[in-house]
Amino acid sequence: MTLQDIRPGERCVITEIRCDNLRKRIIDMGLTTGTLVAVKRLAPLGDPMEIIVRGYLLTLRRTEARRIEVSAAAVR
Amino acid sequence: MRGFHGAPGRRGHGAGHGAGSGGRRFADADGKAEIQVALVGNPNSGKTTLFNGLTGSNQYVGNWPGVTVEKKGGKINIGDIDAEVTDLPGLYSLSTISLEEEITADHVAGRKMNLIVDIVDASNLERNLFLTFQLLDAGIPMIVALNCMDILEKNMDRLDVALLEQRLGVPVVPITASKKTGLDELVRRIGAFARIGSDHRPRYSDAVEATISRFQAVTDDRFLAVRCLEDGPKAIARSGLPGAAKDKLTALYEAEKESSPIALDMVLPNDRYERILAIVDDAMKKNDVAKTSPTDRIDRVLTHRVFGIPLFLAIMFAVFWIAFGPIGSFVTDGFVRLVDLLFGLVAKGVEALEAAPWVASLVNNAVFGGLAAVLGFLPQLAILFLFLSILEDTGYMARAAFIMDRVLRKFGLSGKSFIPMLLGFGCSVPAMAATRTLDKAEDRKITTMIIPFVSCGAKAPIYGVIAGALFASSAYYVVFSMYLLGIVVALFSAVLFKKTILRRASANYLMELPDYRRPTLKNTAIHTWERVKGFVVKAGTVLFGAFIVIWFLSYFGSVDGTFRLLGADELEYSLMGIIGKALLPLFRPIGFTDWRPTVAILTGFVAKESVVGTLGILYGISGNAIENGTLLYPVLRSAFTPVQAYAFMAFALLSAPCVAALAAMKKELGAVKWFAFAVAYETVVAYLVALAIFQIGSLSAGGRATAIFLVFAVLVVLLTIRRAFRRRGSCASCYGCSSGSACEHRGNSEK
Repeated sequence: MTLQDIRPGERCVITEIRCDNLRKRIIDMGLTTGTLVAVKRLAPLGDPMEIIVRGYLLTLRRTEARRIEVSAAAVR
Repeated sequence: MRGFHGAPGRRGHGAGHGAGSGGRRFADADGKAEIQVALVGNPNSGKTTLFNGLTGSNQYVGNWPGVTVEKKGGKINIGDIDAEVTDLPGLYSLSTISLEEEITADHVAGRKMNLIVDIVDASNLERNLFLTFQLLDAGIPMIVALNCMDILEKNMDRLDVALLEQRLGVPVVPITASKKTGLDELVRRIGAFARIGSDHRPRYSDAVEATISRFQAVTDDRFLAVRCLEDGPKAIARSGLPGAAKDKLTALYEAEKESSPIALDMVLPNDRYERILAIVDDAMKKNDVAKTSPTDRIDRVLTHRVFGIPLFLAIMFAVFWIAFGPIGSFVTDGFVRLVDLLFGLVAKGVEALEAAPWVASLVNNAVFGGLAAVLGFLPQLAILFLFLSILEDTGYMARAAFIMDRVLRKFGLSGKSFIPMLLGFGCSVPAMAATRTLDKAEDRKITTMIIPFVSCGAKAPIYGVIAGALFASSAYYVVFSMYLLGIVVALFSAVLFKKTILRRASANYLMELPDYRRPTLKNTAIHTWERVKGFVVKAGTVLFGAFIVIWFLSYFGSVDGTFRLLGADELEYSLMGIIGKALLPLFRPIGFTDWRPTVAILTGFVAKESVVGTLGILYGISGNAIENGTLLYPVLRSAFTPVQAYAFMAFALLSAPCVAALAAMKKELGAVKWFAFAVAYETVVAYLVALAIFQIGSLSAGGRATAIFLVFAVLVVLLTIRRAFRRRGSCASCYGCSSGSACEHRGNSEK
């Protein structure tokens, strides 16, 4: 499962960053393995997507999101 | 090219205290000291607000990541210590991806400061502390200024500052930069630090430390070792080490990459974020009462799936309507009347002096003519800047980029390119400066080169007067079509550049959405003023000189063998007239049958707003043609056919921009080669488009149909060829990807 499959309102945990493009920056922005991420919403045209990570709002494209492996977060 | 200057990061220090130069060195025996303080922090963390608060200067603060695109300096005195404070562009990480970030990273790597004041947004602690850790790695003495304490209080979150200080090992001063609270304490600590000075380098897990020490064995400097581990080849290339050491580091990096259980570039960030999380968990008590933040509530409307785009278009339309519609015109009229009154008085004074006739001519035509062209256009620009400032200050601009990214990506641009292009409707000069927030050099080049096609405010009078004269009731559509033509050519050029000469452009998009803020009157005023001032000073100085040159070319010439100042009805004999006539054959294919429009276009290279004025002068209109375009209507109707007029407008729109914009373009593109290319490209495109318009427009109805059919057929053929190429170049890396051979992922699947 990748980040792009997560629907708005759902959460997930990052398991692996597989994208090469912007890879370093995505990691440095806090998307390290084991990080809890909540998908907030999609842009009106369906892309990019807005996520909450480490308490702030980050927007990224689906081309990057589809290369970020995630697993379902335990429902709390 | 960018890169390190000198050999930063290596000053012959032994392991463990690379910079070491810290506080101890700069206090003289008599207690006098001069220190360099650098403000470093994440974008949008309040650096510039703090800088203004500390130095009392009025730098503009935006709510858009990347407002500080150049470093700025100021001074504060703390007792007998002179602190030189530098406001550096914000960055998320020392592993840079944009030019502005490199400015800051180079500063840190070169250890060009005695003390770092690291501004940390307390409401966004985790991510901000990532940079803090990277800065601590550098071993430069540091104070953490914990900003936005008011937001924390409002949210009823509790933060144990003392604990944070203890865990980070450097002083932490809570402040609220926007309300100027805590600044005195911060200044006091900066002063105290100048005497004591200390640095504290974070320790990582044993495994990471072991890896770092293996790198350090080569680099002889812990910070450089950390950088090489973190940023790999890029950091090694920029290390400033001799070639042999670089080869060693590269070999080591490859070896570590092989043996690392997880991706090597994840090792340090993972460990760092774990440490940060542990600190934040202990020090921060978040208020658990869940409530929707104001930002979320606003975003639910402004980035709504259905209403998001209509609202965005409405906001943009409203801004331009206010600036260029009735309100803008009303303000402009009043302003122009005022300026005219003033100029009239001065002109009378000059007349009274009874100086040589060329002096009066110089003052009236060159100085006032030039100033009027700039000033007459200023109110609309100021209104435009004011509203764009408000949009930027509130945080809406980031949303605009978020909304528009999908559209701009189609043309090989990023949502972030939207802001520079939007500014381009006002003036190309600030628009080009704004391209520096884009990540890659190639993306910046593309955006800078297409901005001149976007119809800037100064071109508006050209359409206004000419369309008004020749298209009467449908003038609005004609003017709108010019704006559209500019956008189409700009986007087409962007695609062309990306497919041909700038293939490495990535048009990346990864952006933080800042929380909405209420714009403050002071900040908005400063911002608007800064931009207006920048325009007046930059454009004004260049234009001023250029107008004198034009005046000379237009008002001097030889009549009957004597070279002299010409009367208003003798402009045909002027140097400009001679040039215009000489160039006329070149312009004939695009519909110019008269030397006068040719000259007007030439003066347009100096300032687009002077095109109308020049037409007025050349057609011998008495009165100010810029101020009152209707004076020109009769002569324009006799001089142009509608098709000629349309080709003329298209050429004026697309041909190389004014001198001020050219200067900005040269600055942003850097290399002369690129600049020359951009100017040549723009001129050729303008010529071709005008040629097509005039030639097709001049055909009979049947001929026109044939031409349109031909163009259509060529397009279909081109698209088919392109599709065939695409299919051949496609790969299976990413499903649904259409980037073909230009894709960066492609190599992976083929390995």
